[in-house]
Amino acid sequence: MRTVRAVPAVLAALVTTAALLTGCGVGPSGVEAAGPAPGGVAPGTTLYFVGQDGALRPELRETGRLGTVVDALALLLTGPGPASDLTTAIPGPPAPVPVVAARVTSIEIWLPFTAAEVPATGVDQIVCTALGVHRQSGGDPAATVQIRFTVPEPGSDRPRECPIPG
Amino acid sequence: MIGLRRLGLRSRLIVVLVAVTVAGAAAAAWASAVSAGSAQTAQTRERLTGSVVATVESVAPQLTFPADESTLGTLRSAIGPDTAARAGALVARDGRIEALVSDELQAAVGGGDGVFTQQVVAEGMPWLVIGTPVMVIEPDGTRRRSGIEVYTAADLTGIDRELGALSLAAAGAAALTLPMSLLLAVLSANTVLRPVRELRATARRLAAGDLTARGRAQGRDELADLTATVDEMAESLQASMAEIRRMQADARRFVADVSHELRTPLSTLSAVLEVLDSTTAALGENVPDDARESAALAIAETHRLIRLVEDLMEVSRLDAGTAELRLEEIDLAAAVADCVRVRGWADLVTLSATGPVPARLDPRRVDVIVANLVGNALRHGRPPVRIEVTADGDRVEIEVTDAGPGLPEDVLPHVFARFYKADAARTRSPGSGLGLAIALQNARLHGGDVGAENRVEGGARFVVRMPREGGTR
Repeated sequence: MRTVRAVPAVLAALVTTAALLTGCGVGPSGVEAAGPAPGGVAPGTTLYFVGQDGALRPELRETGRLGTVVDALALLLTGPGPASDLTTAIPGPPAPVPVVAARVTSIEIWLPFTAAEVPATGVDQIVCTALGVHRQSGGDPAATVQIRFTVPEPGSDRPRECPIPG
Repeated sequence: MIGLRRLGLRSRLIVVLVAVTVAGAAAAAWASAVSAGSAQTAQTRERLTGSVVATVESVAPQLTFPADESTLGTLRSAIGPDTAARAGALVARDGRIEALVSDELQAAVGGGDGVFTQQVVAEGMPWLVIGTPVMVIEPDGTRRRSGIEVYTAADLTGIDRELGALSLAAAGAAALTLPMSLLLAVLSANTVLRPVRELRATARRLAAGDLTARGRAQGRDELADLTATVDEMAESLQASMAEIRRMQADARRFVADVSHELRTPLSTLSAVLEVLDSTTAALGENVPDDARESAALAIAETHRLIRLVEDLMEVSRLDAGTAELRLEEIDLAAAVADCVRVRGWADLVTLSATGPVPARLDPRRVDVIVANLVGNALRHGRPPVRIEVTADGDRVEIEVTDAGPGLPEDVLPHVFARFYKADAARTRSPGSGLGLAIALQNARLHGGDVGAENRVEGGARFVVRMPREGGTR
């Protein structure tokens, strides 16, 4: 009877050792999901201008690629073009391209204007355009924008959001 | 496994203890190696997919869309080797990626909006294949498939090697427990088995006849109980044996005393009967026939009684162990011939010997042996009775055969027993019923033996075998 009891113990030791030596490599597996797919391709850049009624309007500029926030802001600062029925609230003539620091949850933009030069609608145009590109390139949808003017006003560098959805 | 049964209890205990310990250690080591391995694999998978997603997102805003060849080429080279980027019929590929992408993975990537991975082994090398569609995110946050898909494969040989090292380390850890568990097993087996060994020694001494042997019961476990029980058994055995010996000694002394007490009156009776015999002979015809017959019967029965008493005294001496061997240099053939001649059997018995058989034996006891065997053959068998004396190296043999009916099979085992009657109906026989027993005991006293068997050609055969140097075995 002792033998009968000894057999499972010896077997277990052998099986465990065998499993130990063979069971631990990288083997084939099934297909596993690993998070959301990357985004970022787009047929062009969406810019925000001002309509006849004074409200913000998105306009797709077909550049063949999404481009960066800086690219989008450079296009925005050049204005809607003479053929468009949209206008811009950002002062002209075309100024130097702003400096942009994009982080995961916030974008910091240094504008070549004083706080007094840009009306609220113009600031919204910049904020919406920057956030749109940020979101389209896979950035955080809840990100905010902080605008640095050459001459700030109290509260002008607060975190801002786009007033119209999308 | 079957071989384990042949091992001793100690070895089995050690084997089982070591096996259990090593199995436990191996299982623990294996479990930790497996969990560490899977954690490491998962971490690697997460790192590689994160890197692919980050790379795609960093180059995607600069890619021409809808996709053309330059889009795919840029994507592919940004991600690295063993990569394919696909959009509709357009493909940019590098390395052996096509062979590694399974239909399963393609189906998952083609129908979903997430990253998918699969581990595959190709030509002995482990790979992690990552596949993902590239999405278009609208300004309002909605996501749609762009039609671009990216597949890339990462070589997992390094991870595989690390996991192998991990397993080896686990096996090593399990192996390290082997000497320690062996030591513990030996120690604990000794603890368990020491009482068993002592018990065995006690049992051996008891078996060898030392009834004073006792174990020492230590502790309160089952083995201590067993030791105590064996001690009790030895105690009662010793008491019983002492009682039996006392009773045997009493019985023997009684037989010896009775025989001795009977001898004197019987001698007197014998002398008286001799007188009676000579008187009846002298009176001749004047004595009536029935009186003469009665006298003859009384004489015959008295002689028989005297022989019985003498045999009983001989048996008593043999039983008491007081019988002494008086060894002398004799010619066994001559001694046997003398025995036959003295008893007047020369005409009834054929003696054959190859020549003188020198031996060192007790001549009186040899005479008793031969006389009893031949007397038995003459009484119960039929002539011709033959005696053959032979010597073989340091053994001598006396063979006594007769031409009678032989011994019944049921008698054969008891033929040397005292007073054994071969035929229950024939209660009276001229013999004392002790002759063969006395012959056997005398032969044994010399260190020899007597065997009884039936001859194939009929008749019984008794063979006395003794060492040529009596008393040596």
